[in-house]
Amino acid sequence: MKNKLLTKLLLLPVVLLMSSTAFAQMTVSGTVSDANGPVPGVNVVVQGTANGAQTDFDGNYSISDVANDATLVFSYIGYATQEVAVGGQSTVNVTLAEDAQALAEVVVIGYGTTTVKDATGSVTAVTAEDFNQGVINSPEQLIQGKTAGVQISQSTGEPGAGIDIRIRGAASVRSNNNPLFVVDGIPLSGGNTSAEGDAVGIGSNAAKNPLSFINPNDIESISILKDASAAAIYGSRGANGVVFITTKSGKGARGSSWEYSSSMSIASVAKTFDLLSAEKYLSRAADFGFNVEERDFGDNTNWQDYIFRTSTSTNNDLAYSNNYGSGNLRATFGYNKNFGVVENTSLERVTGRINWNQRFLDDKLKIGVQSSISRVNDEGAATAASAGFRGDLLGAAYSANPTWPTSPDFDGTGGLLSPSTMLKYFQNRANTNRMLVNVSAEYALTSDLSAKVNIGLDESESTRISTASPNAINFGGGVLGNGRGSLADLNTKSELLEATLNYSKEFENSSLDILAGYSYQNFNRNGRNANAWGFFTEDMNQMGDAIESTANAIEAKITGDYQQYGFAGNTGGIFVNRLFPEPTTDIITDLNNLAVKSIFVDTYDNTDELQSYFGRVNYSIADKYLLTATMRADGSSRFGQDNQYGYFPSGAFAWKLHNEDFVGDNVSTLKLRLGAGITGNQEGLGYGNFTQRQRYAGGGPDDGGNINIPGIVDVSYPNPALKWEETMQYAAGLDFGFNNDRLNGSVDVYRKETSDLLFNVLAAQPSVQPFLFLNLPDSKVVNQGFEVSLGYDLISSDDLTWNATLNAAFNDNMVEELQGEFDAGTIRGQGLSLAFAQKLKAGEPLFSYFLREFEGFDPDTGQPVQSDVQDFVGKSALPTLTGGLSTSLSYGNWTASAYFSGQFGHYIYNNTANAFFTAGAFRGGRNVTSDVLTAGESFDAAADVSTRFLESGDFVRFQNATVSYKVPLSGDEFFSSLVLSVTGQNLFVITDYSGLDPEVSSSPAGGDLLNGLPVFGIDYAGYPRPRTFTFGLNAKF
Amino acid sequence: MKPVLASAILSLLTVSCTDLAIEETDSIIAEGSTVFEGVADVDASITNLYNDTYGQLGDQGNFFALNEVSTDETLVPTRGTDWGDNGIWRTLHAHTWSPTHQFVLNTWNNLNQNVLRASQILDPLSAPNAEQDAQARFLRAFSMYFVLDLYGVAPFRQPTDAPDVNPSVLSASEAYNFIVNDLETALPNLPMAGPGPTEEGHSRANQAAAHFMLAKVMLNSERYTGSQPNYQAVVDHVDAIAAEGYALQAGYFDIFKQDVPDSETIWYAKAGVGNRIWNGLHYNQNSPDNSGGGWNGFTTLAEFYDSFEGPESNALDAGQEERRGWVPDAASANSENLGIGYGFLVGQQYDEDGSILKDRSGNPLIFTKDLPGLSGNGEATGIRIIKYHPGDDGGSFRSHEIVFRYADAHLMKAEAMMRMGGNATPMVNELRTLRGATPLGSVSDADLLAERGRELYVEFWRRNDMLRFGAFTGAWTYKNEASIGDDKWKLYPIPVNALLSNPNLVQNPGY
Repeated sequence: MKNKLLTKLLLLPVVLLMSSTAFAQMTVSGTVSDANGPVPGVNVVVQGTANGAQTDFDGNYSISDVANDATLVFSYIGYATQEVAVGGQSTVNVTLAEDAQALAEVVVIGYGTTTVKDATGSVTAVTAEDFNQGVINSPEQLIQGKTAGVQISQSTGEPGAGIDIRIRGAASVRSNNNPLFVVDGIPLSGGNTSAEGDAVGIGSNAAKNPLSFINPNDIESISILKDASAAAIYGSRGANGVVFITTKSGKGARGSSWEYSSSMSIASVAKTFDLLSAEKYLSRAADFGFNVEERDFGDNTNWQDYIFRTSTSTNNDLAYSNNYGSGNLRATFGYNKNFGVVENTSLERVTGRINWNQRFLDDKLKIGVQSSISRVNDEGAATAASAGFRGDLLGAAYSANPTWPTSPDFDGTGGLLSPSTMLKYFQNRANTNRMLVNVSAEYALTSDLSAKVNIGLDESESTRISTASPNAINFGGGVLGNGRGSLADLNTKSELLEATLNYSKEFENSSLDILAGYSYQNFNRNGRNANAWGFFTEDMNQMGDAIESTANAIEAKITGDYQQYGFAGNTGGIFVNRLFPEPTTDIITDLNNLAVKSIFVDTYDNTDELQSYFGRVNYSIADKYLLTATMRADGSSRFGQDNQYGYFPSGAFAWKLHNEDFVGDNVSTLKLRLGAGITGNQEGLGYGNFTQRQRYAGGGPDDGGNINIPGIVDVSYPNPALKWEETMQYAAGLDFGFNNDRLNGSVDVYRKETSDLLFNVLAAQPSVQPFLFLNLPDSKVVNQGFEVSLGYDLISSDDLTWNATLNAAFNDNMVEELQGEFDAGTIRGQGLSLAFAQKLKAGEPLFSYFLREFEGFDPDTGQPVQSDVQDFVGKSALPTLTGGLSTSLSYGNWTASAYFSGQFGHYIYNNTANAFFTAGAFRGGRNVTSDVLTAGESFDAAADVSTRFLESGDFVRFQNATVSYKVPLSGDEFFSSLVLSVTGQNLFVITDYSGLDPEVSSSPAGGDLLNGLPVFGIDYAGYPRPRTFTFGLNAKF
Repeated sequence: MKPVLASAILSLLTVSCTDLAIEETDSIIAEGSTVFEGVADVDASITNLYNDTYGQLGDQGNFFALNEVSTDETLVPTRGTDWGDNGIWRTLHAHTWSPTHQFVLNTWNNLNQNVLRASQILDPLSAPNAEQDAQARFLRAFSMYFVLDLYGVAPFRQPTDAPDVNPSVLSASEAYNFIVNDLETALPNLPMAGPGPTEEGHSRANQAAAHFMLAKVMLNSERYTGSQPNYQAVVDHVDAIAAEGYALQAGYFDIFKQDVPDSETIWYAKAGVGNRIWNGLHYNQNSPDNSGGGWNGFTTLAEFYDSFEGPESNALDAGQEERRGWVPDAASANSENLGIGYGFLVGQQYDEDGSILKDRSGNPLIFTKDLPGLSGNGEATGIRIIKYHPGDDGGSFRSHEIVFRYADAHLMKAEAMMRMGGNATPMVNELRTLRGATPLGSVSDADLLAERGRELYVEFWRRNDMLRFGAFTGAWTYKNEASIGDDKWKLYPIPVNALLSNPNLVQNPGY
């Protein structure tokens, strides 16, 4: 069946090929050059025909069968296309002009490229020159705010923190809302590559952003497919849009060149809380009749100053490129060290990349290699959004008694955690190596038909070790006197094989482009998670070594397969739980080489596969009417037998009205786009959730170091119907430009209906697991909205240009259909266990707040006046309007640019204030912000979840400002260009929000999520965003 | 060239075509993948089921909270901002919980999950041997009994049912018969384990445990079947336990130590006792193996404390009965007791060096008998309960929490005899004498309930006892006025999401 389909797809272009013919008269040849000399690889086509050639190593071309009155079209990426009338000459030489605008016009659309002008769907590209400057840890930050309807926010200010991207709203209730990333043709797995680690009593350390392995300086352009008509080519992974990252190649001017860029940044916390000083803390305590003597530990510590720092970061990149005619090469090396503004946090990245393109066999065969290797070392403090009632480092710093001394061994805290203890006696380090290699071979079978094979490999290895020293007072979990540590190894490997056939034909008045392809990709994840208790050392590096050496020593004693093993005082030796060949528990009594008193190690190793067939047809008539149709059949090993293959069609139509006679000449661009398509999302599915699977249950040392040896448990239920989440999207857009596009822009409207929502629903009990993974019947989430982007060249003269672009997106989100209602929005903190602030229910948007209505404090009792029943309050965490404004001014050698971003209409739950800044917290000996004690709140009042802590999150952020100066050169210097720049990031924020930053997303670890529902809009002592100044230089030579 | 390339591509395609089947690399995958095929390893599944059950018993919320915090014995007051926890503790004590209460849902899920996991082990596809069968039946009966007791019905699912099959719902009397049948079937195949320190023998089900459970279920049967319990059978089951050598034991607080052999422990859970220790102790009360001190939550009520014999003070040798425990002072605090008392902690608390402890605001830490309310409490209100002591060998996190104890069986027999027209007084007095309490002249219903409270506080049974004696709908401090006398609260509601998941379920009356 599959093979039949394949045969048909393969035959289709061949049939079409038969119908092509051409007419001939003479042979034309010539040389194509640019300012630096001959340019190889330029496409030369006889206009209106498919007849053409490419320039060779020396920029020469030759085309036979050219009519006397024909026109030749010379095109090459990065250069303005030229049309030259042959006029009977047999030699036509051309000099191409570089065209940055043309480069920006190219958009990657998946298995090919197009131009913005010819696109039928909503696609945009941002090229390197428009990228955001400054400290950039991850590619998404480069394009933050550049595109309407693409909301990009870093979850915290921590170096390497994860980034949320939402394209046209949040469609999925449970699974990932991030788009599919395709790097140089390789679709990445949506999973993490750095290990998530148990942060020994502090919660769980979030995995770092998996994209931070890419050196931002290696990126040439980032293209985004926003609507389904474009994204459907990625089928079951396209529902959240697709982001293509294309790295720079060595193409361009002939010959070799070097480029060096270096920058140094200084970062500091943009805002801190107005906490009571030691003096004020004691005087206020006295005012309210507390025992001041017992509260006064004699010191005067500003705990925020203690944990925050002004940090420096450096970034150095060296690139070599060589265009030697028949091919080109670019090799880069980058080193980046980024210190966070919280002590003990940093990210170090070393990257190397070689991109090589070579043409063989009269340019008929093109080989391309994009390869990168990277190492990311990250160091984290005890910051974790899932910290329990004792809070994490940031929470501790906000609430610590300012009279405490800064000794990490200070033991007068009444069970609270001292920030200095957490800094000194907790360590969390990870390193991640990743290699991404893509090799492609493209062969021109005929001038119209080419075949391409793409092989990709994405491999990573990561280890994270977290340790809490036996000296750590008040950590809980049996840490004191014993120490606790965890080690997480995560290895991933993904192999890709793609084969495509591309048929491209120009007819008299129309052109046809057909793509057919096959893709296979697998995704393996394996690793181990170790938890250890009871160490013989207090040195945290040695503790980490002890976990690793103990695990390795035990593994050396085990013969054969195993799933897990462990050892504790109560287990009577090392237990080994094996699944294969038969489930057994063995006890090993050889206890040599164990460096911890108790350890539990669990392993995993699973592989998912994706197999797809896809095709796309583009047909354009008279350069006025453009039609696109795509289809992808996706088979995934995550789906159940009943739905192993999903089918994702789309269609789009565009009408270039500006090419119609009835549109005036002052309208330079007017294009209408209509499209619809079905895309899927399988990110939330996870491995093997459609079948009954059994494993040994998890476990670990309890607070006393004992381990109950786990038994076997069902980890999933049979559900043969399990499948992807499906989004139907309708979209329409209008691109316009007036006065030669001096004023240009576009307007888009869309409606996305997501159904078959993947959800962990409550299983009908009795059930082997409390939740059951399924596609919710009769469920629908709708996002609809419109996007506007406008650009205007305010001044456009020879030495002065000034332009501004504005983008805005309105999105309306609604859960239209859903059975049942689900508590969500986990709130954390002392006295807030099991508290929640949001609810998922039909008729309300996602992330809707569900709270008690707070009416103030009773003037007599100081108790809060509020109902004790939670209800919807008509507010959601999702912004209804997001936008960005950027402007750029250039005068002579100076260029200045600025970028503002804003979000409106959403609300933030200030979990930080709820947990820490209440009168009750002050009575308990904690520090609070100064306004708390004047609010009239009783010191006995409970701080229930209520609208008291719900605040508008509207903000405008001055995100980025850059001034750069191009040093004038006479042309005889060693440098061919030298640019100096200064960039400021996060310069100020205009907002009424009382927390540190209105752009927040502190999500606890998966296990702490109510109903498995993600958390959004809740601010719980998030790592603050820094304000950063960067001084950079870029030299070419 | 063309054919070579084309055939290369074609061969690549052929090679790489996959059937998308996942492989058994880190889990056992059912072959048919649509149906249950038996558990992979019966022993390992039994182990897992015990571990789960232990974990649920060791918890301070959920199962424990539904059975204890909802009674006249325990409450968890909100102290300033602490222990507010969205009202989850207050509504339990006040009898104002709703069908969305998290503990009501979690307990429903946990217990029913145990039932199905046991059913999977018992399924012929899993082919358990006789003892494995008996262990699984015991565990199923234990969990299903509490589903019945807490919610009034018991949903049931065959392991081979597809996930879209709506579980049938056993009525109270059907569930009762099902449970009794499981226990009676299991009993002869369970191992014998006389009193003593044998670890496996008492952390897993044994014949005495099955007798105990049968006695317990039968004694309560009127609430499920509407007809009079077979009291003689209760007596017989308790006698069978005694016949194995189990007996009352002197030295009340020694029973809860891990390292002191006793003749009372029939079944204990390998569950950490940390929750029982720390959830009441103040932040500044601590032991060397813990850091961060207690959690300053759970307390008892003044009336419950007053039900014990003794003067107001609970100082050492103040004349109180043994079970009320005692609180060290400057003279008696030492490194063994860590300054932490036994039983009921009231009044000034001391550190192990004899210095007085203070609260976080720096005031002397004096636990008060009375509380101002469920909310608005300071750090020191309420008497704390501690049965497992952090100074004992094995430390404050030892895994040894007693579930079935002979003293309970002894009182069940006394109760059964009283119901059959006999006199419970001698048996009750036998226990009271052993515990250093004055013998009673006669034992009424109320006396027996109170005696059970004094002997078995925080051992999971208070709600069950109060229901059996008709006292659960009665009044106690900070119970919601409107809930008093309302039979609705005798059963917990079916969790609202459970109702949605299974149309065969009907919400309990009043919710």
